[in-house]
Amino acid sequence: MSFGSPYVTLPDFTYHKPKSLEEALGLLKEYGDEAKVMGGGVGLIAFMKERLMSPTHVIDVKDLKELKQVSHVPGKGLSVGAAVTLADLLESGVLGGGYAVLGEAVARIADPMIRRRATLVGNVCEAIPWVDSPPALIALDASVEIVGPGTKRSMPVSGFIRGPVDVDLAPDEIVTSIIVPDAKGRVSAFEKFTGGSEFSLASVAVSLSEEGKNRVAKVVYGAVNSTPVRSSEVEGIVSQGLTPANARKAAEAAAHTVECLDDVLASSAYRKHLLRVITTKVLGRMMER
Amino acid sequence: MREISVSVNGRVRKRLIKDNELLLDFLRDRLEVRSVKAACWRGECGLCVVKLGDSLVKSCLVLAVEADGKEVRTVEGIAPEGELAPIQKAFVERGAAQCGFCTPAWVLATHELLQTNPHPSEAELAEATGGLICRCGTYNQIREAVADVSGTKTARHAKERLPRALSG
Repeated sequence: MSFGSPYVTLPDFTYHKPKSLEEALGLLKEYGDEAKVMGGGVGLIAFMKERLMSPTHVIDVKDLKELKQVSHVPGKGLSVGAAVTLADLLESGVLGGGYAVLGEAVARIADPMIRRRATLVGNVCEAIPWVDSPPALIALDASVEIVGPGTKRSMPVSGFIRGPVDVDLAPDEIVTSIIVPDAKGRVSAFEKFTGGSEFSLASVAVSLSEEGKNRVAKVVYGAVNSTPVRSSEVEGIVSQGLTPANARKAAEAAAHTVECLDDVLASSAYRKHLLRVITTKVLGRMMER
Repeated sequence: MREISVSVNGRVRKRLIKDNELLLDFLRDRLEVRSVKAACWRGECGLCVVKLGDSLVKSCLVLAVEADGKEVRTVEGIAPEGELAPIQKAFVERGAAQCGFCTPAWVLATHELLQTNPHPSEAELAEATGGLICRCGTYNQIREAVADVSGTKTARHAKERLPRALSG
């Protein structure tokens, strides 16, 4: 009983279930921007109900074998296929050690029933500001692997996400996997504040690594602006060492330098306060490790 | 329109559907499985939860066509006709329902949790059912019902905590 209303029904489309990546690419080439690729469908079905997207062709890739692989190759890193759900990823047990920031972010996305369907690649491709995995992936220098008709390219997640619900992907291209460089020797952690709903009002992903004599810090804030924001001020302080004094300085720097949006979920001033809180929390936890 | 064939609670059902039909609407409207509730339609309340293959999913976020050739289980299918599963009995005994609208979802989700984890901690129960909402707030009674079946104790489990009129 959907009362024929938008918000609860989907626009008309033809459903395709290709049997290979090649067939999926052929369909994308044929239908171009009239088509949308569906992984878990969580984001796409919600967008279609809101009529933010009304594709006339939906191409379901969730059962494509070549997109369902999770693998960790020491020295190379982690590869997560486009059809790997968040639950699959957590159960694969690969997100420990230096990848902790990603494990902590994914484990707290939505709920277990949603995580059974939603995919990591889908998280990145829908590019919704309050989704938690992109900041974690950016902190780990992850990139997306993209194939098109006869083309193949790779791009950092940070550049791939151009704006809210806007990614650097042509209509005939598909993201096949996410590659996270080997995080051996890294220390990383994730923190967020949700205010009781399932959506983050502010999140932070931190990764620390040694490169030669230098300590390199990546600090990425999510849900405070239209795309994840790196803070060079906070990174500068954190790379000087994890101490209580630096944690206090970093929290202040976050509140004073990271640009925060005012929207219906929270005011800019409240988000700045949250940045102070979550920065203190995340660095405190990292000091304990 | 295309024909799909879905095994619902062990019975194979074939229907003509549209490609843009949700599994939720397929179950409720075409098969009249009315334990699957439509409330938020956007994956937040969890009252349309069904078991699709091996996983609990929110059927408002699944296309009906995706269930073609698969097995769906709803609360009607967790016990033989005329019998109650242990968690259903415990829900009755603990009064773990108020208006009852969300009850099928909670019974199915807690039943499935107990199948895979017979002795869930309160944290594990909260995590597993984090996607479900009960607007009447029967969460404490649900925790007690699950604890009754799993043989564990909850913080609020002691019978004397109930008002005397209810403790029998």
